[in-house]
Amino acid sequence: MGSFVRRQQVFFEHLRPLERESTSLVASPCAAGDSAAYERTTDYNDDVVIVAAYRTPLCKSKRGGFKDTYADDLLAPVLKAVVERTGLNPAEVGDIVVGTVLAPGSQRANECRMAAFYAGFPETVPVRTVNRQCSSGLQAVADVAAAIKAGFYDIGIGAGLESMTINPMAWEGSVNPKVETIQKVQDCLLPMGVTSENVAERFSVSRKEQDEAAVVSHARAAAATAKGKFKDEIIPVETKLVDPKSAEEKSVLISVDDGIRPETSLASLSKLKPVFKKGGSTTAGNSSQVSDGAAAVLLMRRGVAIQKNLSILGVFRSFAAVGVDPAVMGIGPAVAIPAAVKAAGLELSDIDLFEINEAFASQYTYCLKKLELDPEKVNVNGGAIALGHPLGATGARATATLLHEMKRRGKDCRFGIVSMCIGTGMGAAAVFERGSIVDPLNNVRPIELNNFLSQDAQ
Amino acid sequence: MNFLKTPGFGGTSVQFSPFFETRLAVSACQNYGIVGNGRQYVIELTPNGISEVCYYETNSILLDCSWCECNENLLLSADGDGSLKLWDTACLPAANPIASLVEHMSDACCVDWNLQRKNCFLSSSWDTTIKLWTLDRSTSFRTFAEHTHCVYGVSWNPLHPDVLASASGDCTLRCWDVRSPASILVIGAHDSEILSCDWNKYNEFLLATGSVDSSIRLWDVRNHMIPLAVLDGHTLAVRRVKFSPYHENVIGSCSYDMTVRLWNTVIPQNALLATYDHHTEFAAGFDMSLHEDYLLASVGYDDCIFVWPHTSDPRM
Repeated sequence: MGSFVRRQQVFFEHLRPLERESTSLVASPCAAGDSAAYERTTDYNDDVVIVAAYRTPLCKSKRGGFKDTYADDLLAPVLKAVVERTGLNPAEVGDIVVGTVLAPGSQRANECRMAAFYAGFPETVPVRTVNRQCSSGLQAVADVAAAIKAGFYDIGIGAGLESMTINPMAWEGSVNPKVETIQKVQDCLLPMGVTSENVAERFSVSRKEQDEAAVVSHARAAAATAKGKFKDEIIPVETKLVDPKSAEEKSVLISVDDGIRPETSLASLSKLKPVFKKGGSTTAGNSSQVSDGAAAVLLMRRGVAIQKNLSILGVFRSFAAVGVDPAVMGIGPAVAIPAAVKAAGLELSDIDLFEINEAFASQYTYCLKKLELDPEKVNVNGGAIALGHPLGATGARATATLLHEMKRRGKDCRFGIVSMCIGTGMGAAAVFERGSIVDPLNNVRPIELNNFLSQDAQ
Repeated sequence: MNFLKTPGFGGTSVQFSPFFETRLAVSACQNYGIVGNGRQYVIELTPNGISEVCYYETNSILLDCSWCECNENLLLSADGDGSLKLWDTACLPAANPIASLVEHMSDACCVDWNLQRKNCFLSSSWDTTIKLWTLDRSTSFRTFAEHTHCVYGVSWNPLHPDVLASASGDCTLRCWDVRSPASILVIGAHDSEILSCDWNKYNEFLLATGSVDSSIRLWDVRNHMIPLAVLDGHTLAVRRVKFSPYHENVIGSCSYDMTVRLWNTVIPQNALLATYDHHTEFAAGFDMSLHEDYLLASVGYDDCIFVWPHTSDPRM
């Protein structure tokens, strides 16, 4: 950024008022002070932008709308939607990266390749998968953004896919006896719910706080669905449902998330028993649901988007993955979010909207408190407790929900974050910017100290 | 004539091709040259107006361009990251730039190709140096380091292949000879920064300078204590001055006051021939055609390129 300051100085000198002639052109120091979000308005043609983001509805595993759907039939509709709805020629896509967690690696990678063919992609478009547990969908988006910045290609799709009906959480084979030697290795084997109890105990998150978070999640998700907010981002999926008793097949069109329970209340949740620890606080009601779903995000270089006349939904700004204690893996977002915000050159107060995965109400509540976030800015359309957490899809799903909500909110909502905790003790977060220039009248923030120094200089 | 708009990219320099009478090069940058990417455009004049032949993108802004004098396809750009980019319009866009000469420590803001020794050229930079290069070498031949501020413009003498002049932000105009170790002449030409200089094409001793004080001054190098003439008229800094290739007394200039002006230097008090205010932002680049008398081109930060004959309205 030094060159930008120096260039400003040089060109400034050319306009200095002269003694012999009075010019009406005089530059005065900007009295609005410096707000990091306000200053960084430049658009570079090299930016990575998102032009489309879509998701399938999220359905409960084993019992919901996708219980008889093949994994590739979940992914193909969203891959097809991102190219169809933008009018892009699928042959121009440089790579498709799919975050997917529980399925056997090579088979799932093969299924993703098949899904690309179903979606109408030619054989010349390659496909790969990525696995960083619960963050895989977000990691896929970040990998595509990094590849575009590195110049590997100009257009890519970051997607996420999970069918927990077909692949439930499981451990194949025996456990290495060496796990006993290091505590943190042993903690990697802890069931996720046990880590939730650890967080609740270590950081004093009460059962009541967790149930309250669950109620809010369901209420917001139900309100968003009722208002039709998800219609912008959901791609309806044509699939079949097989009756378990009569084996009768029925063709259905799934277009709504089926995990939301609008009637959820503190009273109904308090009846549920803790599942993971005797006398604990984590129940099925304040944990994320086990679900099936997929999502896809189309990214490209800004110069290419302008050339193709595509409207820009969002701009990819930064990504950070961090490591934390596996025994309390849920604190991941509390560490990852500050890292990603710093990498984007911003402050936490500059972020206008958050999508933090509600793996468990305990860790979600802890992260809100630790970062001192305004609950009105977090998971405004509900979270994983109401919608579901199809592991590999969640990152891409949250990106789609975040960007569409930021678009709805208008120019005041400039920066957003997607973040989640990751099993085995990690966290990931990515900063996105709304896809248009900031309206300077609405987004200037009051400053504490007006010493005309930029935040970089302080 | 018509005009061409290059959305998002403001023009910083324009030059007619020495080989093709309908071809021009335009260097351009995003965000008024403060930050962003750059583009080197090649445009063509057709009976239906100006059309874009091709453009090359750079990561940093472009401040100047110069056509090669020995090969009709080669084009040189001065890049804001200090490098010089050499483009070959006969090669595929993917093969371009064919060379990137990285030596300047700060923005390169002017390039000038030698009209007689057609394989060598100069670059001047905000790092206060001027460098001499030849086409066959990827490192500079010589560095002229005497200025104490940005060297905004550099110009070969059209009649003496070893003599050059440089205009700098340290308010001096310096003449150099490639055969001498130090500058051969230092003229304190203005009280403010000098943004451009150009030699007269017919009188080997005559130089013009354009400055931040919005005046253009003419200098005779044999008697350089006082200017030969002072041309007033511009209301803001003069960004570029150019002597006409056809008339010994005609000089053109473009300025931050958004106008392009043509002057006749014979009567300095009444020198202004024409004022063109077609630009709506800083007019940063200006050139006069070698093939057609009084055919003018200008580019500005309003993303517009105009080519028009003198005395007609550029916007028609």
